Amino acid sequence: MRNLKKPWFAKGLYIILFFFLSPFVMAQSPVTVAVFNESTSMPLSPPKIGPFHPGVLTGSDITLYESDRNKTYVSINISYTFHKKLYQAITIGLNLGYDYKMAYGGSLKTGIGIGYMHTFPVREIYSFQSTEYGLKKAKGNSRFIPSVSFGIGQRFSPNDFKSSELFVQQQYWLEIPYSPGFIPNMSHANTILGAKFP
Amino acid sequence: MKTTCIRTLLVLSTILNSCAVSEDEIVKESTYDCFMSDNTSNQGHPKHVQYQALLDELVGKGVPGIMMTIFDGNDNEGPWSGASGMADLKNRVSMKNCNISRVGSTVKMFTAVTVLQLAEEGKLNLDDLASQYLSDETMAGIENAHEATVRQLLEHSSGIYNYIINPHFQTASLNDLLKVWKPNELLDYARGKNANFEPGTDLDYSNTNYIFLGEIIEDIEGKPFYKVFEERIFNPLDLAFTQFAAESPVPKNIVRGYIDLYSKLEVVESTYYSGWDYYTADGGLISNPYDLYVFLRSIMEHSIISEKSFQIMTQWKSPSYDDDIHYGLGIFKMETKFGDAYIHSGDAIGYAATMLYLPKDDIYISWAVNGNYGKIDALTQELEAMEHIIANVIK
Repeated sequence: MRNLKKPWFAKGLYIILFFFLSPFVMAQSPVTVAVFNESTSMPLSPPKIGPFHPGVLTGSDITLYESDRNKTYVSINISYTFHKKLYQAITIGLNLGYDYKMAYGGSLKTGIGIGYMHTFPVREIYSFQSTEYGLKKAKGNSRFIPSVSFGIGQRFSPNDFKSSELFVQQQYWLEIPYSPGFIPNMSHANTILGAKFP
Repeated sequence: MKTTCIRTLLVLSTILNSCAVSEDEIVKESTYDCFMSDNTSNQGHPKHVQYQALLDELVGKGVPGIMMTIFDGNDNEGPWSGASGMADLKNRVSMKNCNISRVGSTVKMFTAVTVLQLAEEGKLNLDDLASQYLSDETMAGIENAHEATVRQLLEHSSGIYNYIINPHFQTASLNDLLKVWKPNELLDYARGKNANFEPGTDLDYSNTNYIFLGEIIEDIEGKPFYKVFEERIFNPLDLAFTQFAAESPVPKNIVRGYIDLYSKLEVVESTYYSGWDYYTADGGLISNPYDLYVFLRSIMEHSIISEKSFQIMTQWKSPSYDDDIHYGLGIFKMETKFGDAYIHSGDAIGYAATMLYLPKDDIYISWAVNGNYGKIDALTQELEAMEHIIANVIK
């Protein structure tokens, strides 16, 4: 039988989200919201269907250059990931994105990014203290996460570059470090379904 | 619109967070009850204090729990079996010398002994092509599968790619920690991979070899390989603490396993995470150090296999890249500071075990721990750790 309890940092998550999101509400930057499934995957491997390790993401971006065919932009986002057996994580990422605009409001997307991820275990942690193991409140682990992503998008109004857009993306990212002395770094993938609103 | 999106995000994160942290299983202490006779346990052994101090020292450095059996052929004291640490950290249950644990690849010695018995009975020849006994479906796409002999599978000289080192397998198994893998799913990660070398020209450890050997045993005996283990090894040797995972993947009384994933001596429970080795003859054994000692001694004393088979089993060869390790058939000879050790180790996620014999001193040592990775491996599984254990036994 497994007992469930609310994590001590749940309130912290809401506070972080509130402060992060507030500027977006006020400002004129577009807002991105997305849900995704995280998997432990090799780079460029096809998306994995299961099991489901869900996550939510929000962010915004600033356009650096835009023409009829091309758009480059910098985006910042924050996400929350829940892996039932290993961890939950809050990630803050900075991405450099490029869109190639096609006919009928479609686009091809790619990007590279860097981010900081803080993971918290979802299982109880037993810490070795002087001579024996005892339960310990987790402070979590810090991670550096470079990423690369590929995807497609579709604007709601094909002729309006400022229109809302639906997109799917496959983001491959490295977790550095992972398990020192065992597996130094671990590769992951997020399969993302999202929308961007002006 | 923005406000709606943000609210949606907050609702989603609330839903996710509400199911965030789970506590480990509550298990009654009596679940781990077990019995080992006084004669077998031998707590009155003259070296009891010395041996127990070794186990306590390892636990005092960060091993969650350990069981060990020691037998010195130079005295008439019989085997000693002890334990230290915790079988279950959540429920604060102490490890006992009669508990059971995952012992992973030590099963390869059981697989080898079974194949050698079949050879003794004329049911196969070690130099037969393995493909005589394997289906096309099993071998499909695996380089060297059609050319390798049974002996080459046993001594890891087939050159066949080791599925377990395929990064796609490693990420897939981590992605779905509760998945129970079937043999062909594992072999898929060896398909299409280049062999390491031509069969018989070098040596390289490959779990794929022992999946094949399990299938060969099943083909010859017409029943699951672990049933053959029961009939030929577990029952004749009265290995009361030994079973194969396929029969009961996670027995209620198995000690909890723990992993030090972040190398901080901060462990999480992993008892249910070893589903990749429940149905193949390269892992999946559940046992106890006392039974491992009984089994290893039966090989060294030629009671479970003939002396001739033992000689075949211990025709040592070294790989081109390492002169310090010597491969036999399902067994290794390792050079230590204290002389040669005949050995096989094994691990699963959260568990590790080793059985070894020191021929110069006629001493057997076997142990099982319920923790691995990170800083724990350095305490029990690496060469220095083994030499430390040997030093403290023979002093």
